[in-house]
Amino acid sequence: MGLLSDPSISTQSKLVDGLARHVRKVCYALYVAGVAWFFCLALPEFNHGTYLSENALSPGLVYPEIRIDANRLAIQLLEELQRERKDHLSTTPHAWIAAKMNEFGLETHTHNYTLRYPFGGGKEYHGKNIYGILRAPRIASTEGIVFAAPYRAASSVHTDISASVPLLLAFADFARRKNYWAKDLIFLVTEQEQLGMQAWLEAYHDGDRDLDVSKAYLRPGNLPARAGSLQAALNIEVQDLEIDHVDVRIEGLNGKLPNLDMFNLVQRIMAREGIASGYKQAPRKKRRHSQSAFEQNLRQMLTMLASQSSGVPNGNHGLFHRYRIDALTIAANRRATHATLKGSPGSAAVPLLKAIEGIARSLNNLLERFHQSFFFYVIVNNDRYISIGDYMPALVALVACAFVKAYLTWSTLPALNAELETAAGLVRTQELNQELELEQEQEQKMQFEADSDTDKFELPYGSVLIYLTATLLIGFLCNVLPLQQYFLEIPMGAAPLTTSVLSFLSLIGFILPFVVVLPPGGLELLHVAFLLIYGCALIVIGLLNFALGFFAAVLTVPLVISLETKEENSRSTLRNSIRLVTLVMNPMMVIYVIVLAMTFYQFPELPLQKIMLRAATAAMDASAYGLIDSVIYGNWLYFVICTIFLPLWIICWTLALSKRRDYADYLDFDESPSTTPQPKVKTN
Amino acid sequence: MFPEALVLLLLVAFNAGSCSSLGKDDERFHEELVVRPLSGDHVNTYFQFTTRWHYGEKDNLYHTQLTPRVIAELLQQFAVKELHIGLTQGLWRYETWGYPIVEATSGAEMWAWFSGRNLTNGEVDRQWKELANVFSGVLCASLNFVDNTNSIAPRHLIRPQFMPANGQRFVRYSTLPREIVCTENLTPWKKLLPCGSASGFASLLNSGHVHNTKYHSLGLKVRVLCEDHDEDNCIVELTQTANLVYDLRLFELSNNDFSLRRLFGMGLNGFCELAASSKIYVQRNEQGERFQLVPPPTQEDVRSTRGGHSVIYSVYDMHEQFRDAGERLFNVAWLSPKSENRRRNLARPSLPPVTVHRYLLGHGQERGRIVTEVTNSHYDALPIMVQEMVPWYVHAYLHTLSIRRKPQRVNEYGRQRLPFKLLHYTPGKQRELPSHLEIGFMLPGQTSALITIDVDYLLLKWLEYPPDANHGHYIGAAIVSSQLPMGRNYTALPPEGHLFEHSFNATRPSYVLSLHTEALIVSLPTPDFSMPYNVICLACTVVALAFGPIHSVATKMIIVGRQASAPKNFIKKILNKIFRRGKAGDQAAAVPPEAAEEVALNAALASGLGSSSSRATTSRAGGDQPLLEDLDEEEEEQD
Repeated sequence: MGLLSDPSISTQSKLVDGLARHVRKVCYALYVAGVAWFFCLALPEFNHGTYLSENALSPGLVYPEIRIDANRLAIQLLEELQRERKDHLSTTPHAWIAAKMNEFGLETHTHNYTLRYPFGGGKEYHGKNIYGILRAPRIASTEGIVFAAPYRAASSVHTDISASVPLLLAFADFARRKNYWAKDLIFLVTEQEQLGMQAWLEAYHDGDRDLDVSKAYLRPGNLPARAGSLQAALNIEVQDLEIDHVDVRIEGLNGKLPNLDMFNLVQRIMAREGIASGYKQAPRKKRRHSQSAFEQNLRQMLTMLASQSSGVPNGNHGLFHRYRIDALTIAANRRATHATLKGSPGSAAVPLLKAIEGIARSLNNLLERFHQSFFFYVIVNNDRYISIGDYMPALVALVACAFVKAYLTWSTLPALNAELETAAGLVRTQELNQELELEQEQEQKMQFEADSDTDKFELPYGSVLIYLTATLLIGFLCNVLPLQQYFLEIPMGAAPLTTSVLSFLSLIGFILPFVVVLPPGGLELLHVAFLLIYGCALIVIGLLNFALGFFAAVLTVPLVISLETKEENSRSTLRNSIRLVTLVMNPMMVIYVIVLAMTFYQFPELPLQKIMLRAATAAMDASAYGLIDSVIYGNWLYFVICTIFLPLWIICWTLALSKRRDYADYLDFDESPSTTPQPKVKTN
Repeated sequence: MFPEALVLLLLVAFNAGSCSSLGKDDERFHEELVVRPLSGDHVNTYFQFTTRWHYGEKDNLYHTQLTPRVIAELLQQFAVKELHIGLTQGLWRYETWGYPIVEATSGAEMWAWFSGRNLTNGEVDRQWKELANVFSGVLCASLNFVDNTNSIAPRHLIRPQFMPANGQRFVRYSTLPREIVCTENLTPWKKLLPCGSASGFASLLNSGHVHNTKYHSLGLKVRVLCEDHDEDNCIVELTQTANLVYDLRLFELSNNDFSLRRLFGMGLNGFCELAASSKIYVQRNEQGERFQLVPPPTQEDVRSTRGGHSVIYSVYDMHEQFRDAGERLFNVAWLSPKSENRRRNLARPSLPPVTVHRYLLGHGQERGRIVTEVTNSHYDALPIMVQEMVPWYVHAYLHTLSIRRKPQRVNEYGRQRLPFKLLHYTPGKQRELPSHLEIGFMLPGQTSALITIDVDYLLLKWLEYPPDANHGHYIGAAIVSSQLPMGRNYTALPPEGHLFEHSFNATRPSYVLSLHTEALIVSLPTPDFSMPYNVICLACTVVALAFGPIHSVATKMIIVGRQASAPKNFIKKILNKIFRRGKAGDQAAAVPPEAAEEVALNAALASGLGSSSSRATTSRAGGDQPLLEDLDEEEEEQD
């Protein structure tokens, strides 16, 4: 602040004055430029074709050796598994899987984990993963690759993917008889969707953690055997041995992505085996619609960013990214009709097996971890991508609005000007300051000169800081309160509990500006602080999860630009509409609106009332899931919303209200501090 | 303390039966092959070639017969009394395969004992490095990378096996976990044998087949056995071992039958003529029970009971087999009964009493935890010693060292700790010394112990990264040692023996077991060696290049050539410039080349200099009268 508040440095240049008059225009121009740049990225001139950067992968260098007998084995295993599934309706046939792995000569182990579900009094769930390690002949167990297949019980509500385990085992049997493996292969069958995978990964990387039994939610335990540092992972979700197309899923936890090389590798090998494969690959029929390339690209980009922004992985692969293991899911979808069958059903899965073998052998070739190519990218098409260097300018342009406005607001702060004027000993008339305010300031100055020995008007840094801390505290409480033992013991579901806590704290935030009124100059200072924090927060979020940062910026920047604290703004309709928009921009409301839109999209036949009701329950569930995700998986969406967006919204709401204390009040306060609700407000 | 007890035990054992068997100047060579079917369709073949030479006086070492000359010269040049070198690919799986006959860690491993009069630590360091260099050449391995930065002097864990071992002695130990073992090591290793690879068991070791195994380990062990206080009555013993584990599944056979020809690609062509004995031992119980041998062995059912555990061997004595001259091609086939299922035996082997694992926990490139897990599945408590060598690029924090325990069957480690019985720690030093840690504790029966130590990863200097920087750096294996009260799964030779058959019926009060864990790969914080890093390097280069001229400007003497009364008029200015150039040319001709360079310096720069410096300038450039005057004038003007 020394530099900024040094009176010898004049912030009053003509340029700044000129710009300050047109803050909004400048900011809107930046905003439009940012959004336009983003749309331009969908044009082929603005994105690049994919290429393999890591030469060691050399996809397709070897002939696939896997033959039809592996496919026969897969079919046979699938039949056996279907019989097992009749006996294990809601559990995993662990014994069968372990027996098969043992028979194929893998070093088979089981991994037990416990989840202590914190809400509604607490419940314990036990899970069990099975994994077999193929000890590679060419290495002393220092590196490994994971091949994972989630197992879904027959009673699961999700799509049946029971063919994945037989396929995995058939590949394991093939791989076991080869001597070229230079990385241990781990064949892992997890249950309970992502929970099993998370537990396994945590046990692999933090198996010794001495967890406090009463506090830990997921107790992963320790693994009986490991295979060194994991280099890559492939998650296989196969609906049926007869497949139509393969959807390559890459979005991971908190929007992290695997190395682009890994995606390219899968694409190349799938193409070689003649499997229709791609990012967000749709069935054949849906693919035949006439859209321009631009429209298609844009749609692809937006769907990718949309699925990234929630930070929830769309497959088990997403959990690997946290440990810097590049992973993706190949989700093979069932062929709908048998009319388009090319080969006999006896060899239906051979291309997929060959593809898995090809991927495995390429990964086996890796000499170093994935480090080339890109970790931050947006896929516009199966063979085109946008690198971080190309998409960041869009976000930067949006965020720049906040910083530009912050600087211009700061340099035209009435208090600062007054200060400068005092220092210079002259009073300059300013267009932006109204007569009244000036008079006020003059009065203030005179007042100060009269009753204190300081002759400067000082900004109320202290009270603004306290106000900021208070808002942050509310955000922090959102994180902490729902998990307090006292609340957890209430026999109440997770969703109502979380929602009620959040709504309560939002309500406090809503009321806060009515109760606490900042001293003069405080609002302006708060405005500057808000803009700076907002800008920093967005750029950081955008770096970690571009999708979330970008969408948040697109949504909120116009509001932030139009936000004004000056009292002289006579157009009260604009003012009121800003207040209304701010209200709608409450994180809780935004979530509700998003959920509402999704519900409407999914159930268009329902009446509006029902939709709204359903959306409300869904939004409540969403907030609870957000909390659970953050606690168990380390998803920081909930944290970001509570600790960053909610405090920012409270400040924004304060600014939109612009509750000012009358000058007379202020004088009163000076004389009798006990009458105001805020006890710690600092004055000179 | 148990290490002391261990030494005592060894010494007693030596005195009992070492030097007596050989007469003076006696030199014998033995070749042995042990075949042990292991569980999980694996077969362990162990070759041992032993040369034992009672050379008597040191001078006799100049005349070698069966012992390679390198080894004899070694004893003359260095004060080395015992030397072990292991070159290994793969990892011995204790859980499924039991214990090996000789232990080795993956990569290269080397340790040596030095003993002699007036030996100092510095001298030992020097000899150690030279010794490593010698064997780097002999075995074509990267042992030349062994130096002080990756060597330690183990305090308790490695015990001497030479004699006399009671004097002043030094030990050095080092591993190179990154070493890749290949044909180029096998060929020179075979050349050390008296028969080479021409005949005898060594002819089976063909690189094409040897390197198709799950585990192969070449070993070389030299030790000197002298009678106490008598340097002139000594035996040198060279043991070369090759330990291979074949995976029958890799052969893609329809059944489990195998034969020497199948394993090694060719049959055995008799025996080495120089060998005093040449025997094949085939284990017949446990996993070997189901096989039928063709041809029948010369000696059936040799039963070895050791520590309450019996092993049955069949022996082929090659000397007896080929007593008569004639065709010497020989093959042994293991046939399993036809009734047996094609899908193989899935019987789980009994777990060995002590198993070890090591892994790295934590994620990220900043810090982590090295974890060594020791499991005791014996019913009684066992003494355990662990030796860790942590390289200098990983900082270990001793205060975080802890041993936690859990019952073997439980999944998670709780808060129960085990107390240290012994702790020896030598802190590491960046780029100079590795951290060396030895701990000893009692591990209760049916219990696992988790030894964790927190480490920080160091950011290396940019030239210290290897070309494949993102591959990661290695941390060598830990050695875990224990004393077993029983001989189950234990097949190592007793320290006083030198032949495999010496391990038969060698019951002892306890058996010293030493196990190697996995090596680890850590990914140190690695800069992005692509564009941004290149930009940094380029920027540094530019700065370095710019530094030269700036330095020369800042340090060189500046002499100001004064411009005679600068004219105001533009035309006059140009005229003046033209005339001055002529003048300057004259001056340049007059002054020596050094001074000319100085004159050429920018006058504008000189105007910033203080008058004092210009005065110093004038005093040195005394020869140039006109310049001097000019300067004086200028000063006056300034005043």
